[in-house]
Amino acid sequence: MKPLVFLEHDGAELESGAVGVLGKAATFTDGDVAAVLAGRGPLDGLAARAAAHGAARMFVAEDDALDPPVAQPRIDLIERVMADGGYDTVLFSTSVLAADVAAGLAGRLGAGLNWDLVDLELRDGEPVGRRLALQDSVMVDVGWRSTPRLALFRRGVFDAATPVAREPVTEAVTVPATEPSRRVTVVEHTPSAADGPSIGDAEVIVAGGIGLGGAEHFALAEELAAVLGGAVGATRAAVYKGWYPAAAQIGQTGRTVSPRLYVALGISGAVQHKVGMQNSKVIVAVNTDAQAPIFGFSDLGVVGDVHSIVPKLVDLLQERKGRD
Amino acid sequence: MVRPADYPPPVSAGEFVTAPTDAPDDRIDVGVLIVGAGPAGLACAIRFGQLLSEDPETAERLGEVPLAVVEKGRQPGSHLLSGAIVNPRSLRVLFGDKVRVEDIPGYGPVPRESVYVLTARQAVTVPTPPPMRNHGNFIFSLSQLGRWLAERAEEGGAMVLPETAATRLLVDDGAVVGVRTGDKGRGPDGRELGNFERGSDIVAAVTVLAEGTQGHLTGAALDHFGLHGPDPQVWELGVKEVWKVARPLDRVIHTMGWPLRPQARYREFGGSFIYPMGTELLTIGMVVGLDYRDVELSAHDLLQELKLHPRIRPLLEGGERLEWGAKTIPGGGFHALPTRFQAPGLLLCGDGPGLVNVPTLKGIHYAIESGRLAAEAAFRAVKAGNHDPLGSYDDALRASFVWRDLYEVRDVRHAFGRGFFVGAMCAGAMTLSKGRIGLGRLRTTPDASQPLLRTDRAASYPAADGRLTFDKLSSVFAAGNKTRDDQPSHLRVASPVPRDVADLWVNMCPAKVYTAGEAGPDGLVAVETEPSNCVQCGAIAAKGGRLTPAEGGSGPEYVET
Repeated sequence: MKPLVFLEHDGAELESGAVGVLGKAATFTDGDVAAVLAGRGPLDGLAARAAAHGAARMFVAEDDALDPPVAQPRIDLIERVMADGGYDTVLFSTSVLAADVAAGLAGRLGAGLNWDLVDLELRDGEPVGRRLALQDSVMVDVGWRSTPRLALFRRGVFDAATPVAREPVTEAVTVPATEPSRRVTVVEHTPSAADGPSIGDAEVIVAGGIGLGGAEHFALAEELAAVLGGAVGATRAAVYKGWYPAAAQIGQTGRTVSPRLYVALGISGAVQHKVGMQNSKVIVAVNTDAQAPIFGFSDLGVVGDVHSIVPKLVDLLQERKGRD
Repeated sequence: MVRPADYPPPVSAGEFVTAPTDAPDDRIDVGVLIVGAGPAGLACAIRFGQLLSEDPETAERLGEVPLAVVEKGRQPGSHLLSGAIVNPRSLRVLFGDKVRVEDIPGYGPVPRESVYVLTARQAVTVPTPPPMRNHGNFIFSLSQLGRWLAERAEEGGAMVLPETAATRLLVDDGAVVGVRTGDKGRGPDGRELGNFERGSDIVAAVTVLAEGTQGHLTGAALDHFGLHGPDPQVWELGVKEVWKVARPLDRVIHTMGWPLRPQARYREFGGSFIYPMGTELLTIGMVVGLDYRDVELSAHDLLQELKLHPRIRPLLEGGERLEWGAKTIPGGGFHALPTRFQAPGLLLCGDGPGLVNVPTLKGIHYAIESGRLAAEAAFRAVKAGNHDPLGSYDDALRASFVWRDLYEVRDVRHAFGRGFFVGAMCAGAMTLSKGRIGLGRLRTTPDASQPLLRTDRAASYPAADGRLTFDKLSSVFAAGNKTRDDQPSHLRVASPVPRDVADLWVNMCPAKVYTAGEAGPDGLVAVETEPSNCVQCGAIAAKGGRLTPAEGGSGPEYVET
């Protein structure tokens, strides 16, 4: 397998999911991982960070046409890099753009695409992916019958490799000027209004459910998130009641997250919520109902009222912060 | 006495019937349009395809798309759920010698069968009543059968359009000319989101409504053309689970009695079914007539209770629940059938107009037969170039075994309104005499007009243990439902309403769609809905609300139900 990693970024930062995939790919290739970095130049800063996280070689395309997050020119670019460099596998961390690019490439190359993978390993030299099926209730192995192979990984399933200082090795590439690809223009780009870190990238998430008791009580989650340096999430039920914006919804029909710490406040832990956060490293739950399903998959469960526990917790954390 | 019917949903008369609104050039033009990729609609598509292949000239005349099937589910079969033991006769007629029923993906012929009358601790085996005998019938997953039929329909030239909801019936100059499909990508308040896609007018020479139980446009058409039969339609609600089991089940089991109560005043008609699906799977379901009165009755929780019965629990222990789903069944029978099954440009088939035999627990072979007959009438109409031949569909249906079967059992379901024991006796007399012993005309009352009562029934429902018994929300998950949350509500219910009506909906809904708020100063409570939980079973429409199609692609994604 000769893999290529698609490095998505927002202009200022690499997507953490893509950095994780980079780290994973490095384990297969003795550190000799190649990656594609595309966008409006200059991309030197991003290239340096990618190198520190394991990209041994990068194909960098700096082009204004790559500024808007459209798939077509990226498909053209990756197709060329694959052909020139003999790469037979492309690895993506799932996002709207990455999924578009992967799907487009699959069509272009007639390549097999496995999506929503949570792991990858080599078996007799052949890559075998793992994915959850039947609503995340079973794990299945998936492979490829032919090359090239394309893989979309669930966001945030791999940790970033520990950064090491090294010089980026880059090779400038140009985007083939195929006509239809250049016809797409982005008319408008409106980021959803959200404060603080987005839940997709946050290392700490404090999420609230209907046990909080009202929109105004989400202030508790926000205070705790602020002192922990995290983001605020919400269950579908809470979003449905209009207590918190839909962008914060975690679960089956919202975002899937895997922070280092997940604090669930007043969340019963219905399976629809569980599938969106069960890969969190440490799960802490506070709920008045000792029978709530959330306690079945929490590392630390507190049976009690969030309204009395959280303010004390915030005070304690602030006090400790002050001491440090 | 509180009745849900006194709190009608906010629906305006004629709301779902309209003239085409798209400019003629923007309309999608098809020859015959079928609404619903279930056994009726797909049988219709398959038969119409067969007829077209024998008549290339007519096929040519019907243009680019001679035959289209719209389906609101994610794919054909996504919204199909049934027992399902199928009488194979209609499949044999539909496919002739081209396909053997034994070769259709399913679980083979019915092995032995048993009928138990249950008490809380005991199960008494009783002789299988003649209508429930299933010798020669086949066990299928209806969802799987639907997918297979859709492939056959496509092979025959039908264009199947999934994720497409038919929201309005297009009527022009007194004739049905097609349907309007639903918008996609609206927010909860109706606002157009970034991925907004406007619906379209699909116009057709003949429109076949094969929407299944609680058909949205079927109801609108019955109202618009004044086709309602002498009796109001009534429904049963079925909730079922598919299990992977440690030991194969060697027989088909039906139960009567517990956990339903026999006293006439509760009006709890129903029973359970447990069918093997090969050696590794079984399906277990609970069916309850929606003429019940107790506001705390929950078919989902009755099924959970049933699974703990000492005779049933061992069948499941060591196994694992794979899937769950719910659906209503039209139970009004012969007297609730529409006066006609057609109107200019329109044909009605399957469960929509109520072609279901409750005593035999069968309707799939009627759906297939009615779909086949509808295709033949539609073909005659497109060949003639006018709607006149559509009337032949009524004649064909009345001459078919479907009609004869339903006539024979015409009063059986009504008898159970008198309580379980009297009902069973009357039913026995009627079925043994093949309908010659009538029971006198027993008029039915609409399900929503039954006065409500409350008996602390919920106290006996078991707590969910996540292994043998499950709560509603995890069950909705097991239905594969991952409906987009931020779409407009497709459910219409009155709010605020008396506490009893709100509690009826809360408990009845197997998918935890409804919650009751606090009582206001007038004693009425607000009803909150979470429409994205909805598995579109249709119970709410029987008990005082109105179900309309959600955005195409929403709802459950059944696989093995």
